[in-house]
Amino acid sequence: MRRISFVAALLCLSLLSPLPGKADPSSLTVFAAASLREAFEAAAADFTKKTGIAVKFSFAGSDTLEQQISQGAPADVFASANLTQMKKAADAGLLGSEPQLFARNRLVLIEPKTNPGGVNAVADLAKAGVKVVLAAPTVPVGGYARSAFKKLNGTAGYAADFSDAVERNVVSNELDVKAVASKISLGEGDAGVVYTTDVTPLVATSTRSIAFPPESQPDAEYPIATVKATTNAPGAQAFVTFVLHEGQPYLRARGFLAP
Amino acid sequence: MIRAAVALAAALLAGFIAFPIAGLIFHQSPAAFVVALQAPSAQAALRLSLLTTLCSLALTVGLGTPLAYILARRVFPGRALVDALVDLPIVVPPAVAGLALLLAFGRAGTLGPALHALGINLSFTTAAVVLAQTFVASPFFVRAARSGFATVDQTLEAASATLGMGPLRTFALVTIPLAAPALTGGIVLCWARALGEFGATIMFAGNLSGVSQTLPLAVYLDLEGGDVAGATALSVVLIAVSLAVVAGIRSVERR
Repeated sequence: MRRISFVAALLCLSLLSPLPGKADPSSLTVFAAASLREAFEAAAADFTKKTGIAVKFSFAGSDTLEQQISQGAPADVFASANLTQMKKAADAGLLGSEPQLFARNRLVLIEPKTNPGGVNAVADLAKAGVKVVLAAPTVPVGGYARSAFKKLNGTAGYAADFSDAVERNVVSNELDVKAVASKISLGEGDAGVVYTTDVTPLVATSTRSIAFPPESQPDAEYPIATVKATTNAPGAQAFVTFVLHEGQPYLRARGFLAP
Repeated sequence: MIRAAVALAAALLAGFIAFPIAGLIFHQSPAAFVVALQAPSAQAALRLSLLTTLCSLALTVGLGTPLAYILARRVFPGRALVDALVDLPIVVPPAVAGLALLLAFGRAGTLGPALHALGINLSFTTAAVVLAQTFVASPFFVRAARSGFATVDQTLEAASATLGMGPLRTFALVTIPLAAPALTGGIVLCWARALGEFGATIMFAGNLSGVSQTLPLAVYLDLEGGDVAGATALSVVLIAVSLAVVAGIRSVERR
């Protein structure tokens, strides 16, 4: 019994070691927007090969990540899917470097291949009974989608209250963009708004994409910065530099546009 | 020496639980608390949580009582399997439960087309919230009721039968009162678990104010949006309710 509790205590203590306060130059924790997952995972493999620094990721909605960093979560780098969350972090004095833009993204409407809602164009989202799945307004892609709908209000082919009609059709406010993609992939919703980069080969097998009118496309800009409380400032800076330069092809390969 | 170590260990765990809860309660002034609770989304979440948990509780008690009785009294092939199955949702992670519900009852799920033919569509509805809560919370009632029924002295039921009471009257007037403490404890635990349900709900029912955004989802969304006051106000409500529930169980147990 005593031996078991001793071993258990040792195990618990070992769990504490990766937490802040203990600098480890060979590893790095990156908090990144959920939409960056595939591109960043591919880029990080290359980064680790070149620098020997292992990268751990926490992917979530940028608003969640910003909240976690402000509560002292052990992040070394923050990559956000919009300027709003990055500015919040900067205003709160959480950043260790000036945020730099490293990618841009575009919105796309996706629907299940079976087309259960009869959605063939963005304008169809306002039809009564269409089940629209969006990210919550506080999640960057949810905010972008709503501002795109507002831009379409009253333009050719769209009613003046188009955005209100779409909002009435929203059946769920998901916590991040990947959750929107999965609800559509699973065929639960009739249509959802994600980034073009979220239509991965896997998602494309079960969904169909419909482009947004170019004039409604928002500037979905991705900024990256080191976190002030980092315990590995050189490593964090190296990762930011890598994303801005050698890492760019990985982002391009996943459909992200140049900043 | 050992006494001191025991006392220290006990104080550490009790303090570890009490400290964050106290922090939540004293995070803001009572006035800010009242303001946050009056927000329409907070009101909607409170109403929805109350409604859905009462529905899932009714469903659980209505269907779980016969199940618990059968498991406690009858011997039938596969009983051990059913017994284990009933407890399974306790250990299954809620997100897995949500995915399983989606794949079974969702629009594109196994039963989706059949349900659609009947005019039933569960995804993104309040009914889906109730099903998610029932799935994760019902084992707490069934377990308690099963052991409650198992401990009832069956000679008393036999005596009731010899006095001319039918099986239903015997069940209602003898078995239920004797198993009452266990049943009450199960009801309270089941309701509390349903109230706290998050993972299966957001997976299966989605998140929409007034339809599927229960208290735990509203707390999460408030926090996401930076509304710490709203999130803590709703959290305090949840804690107050949980505290009342625990106190309720204690008083039932003492009787």
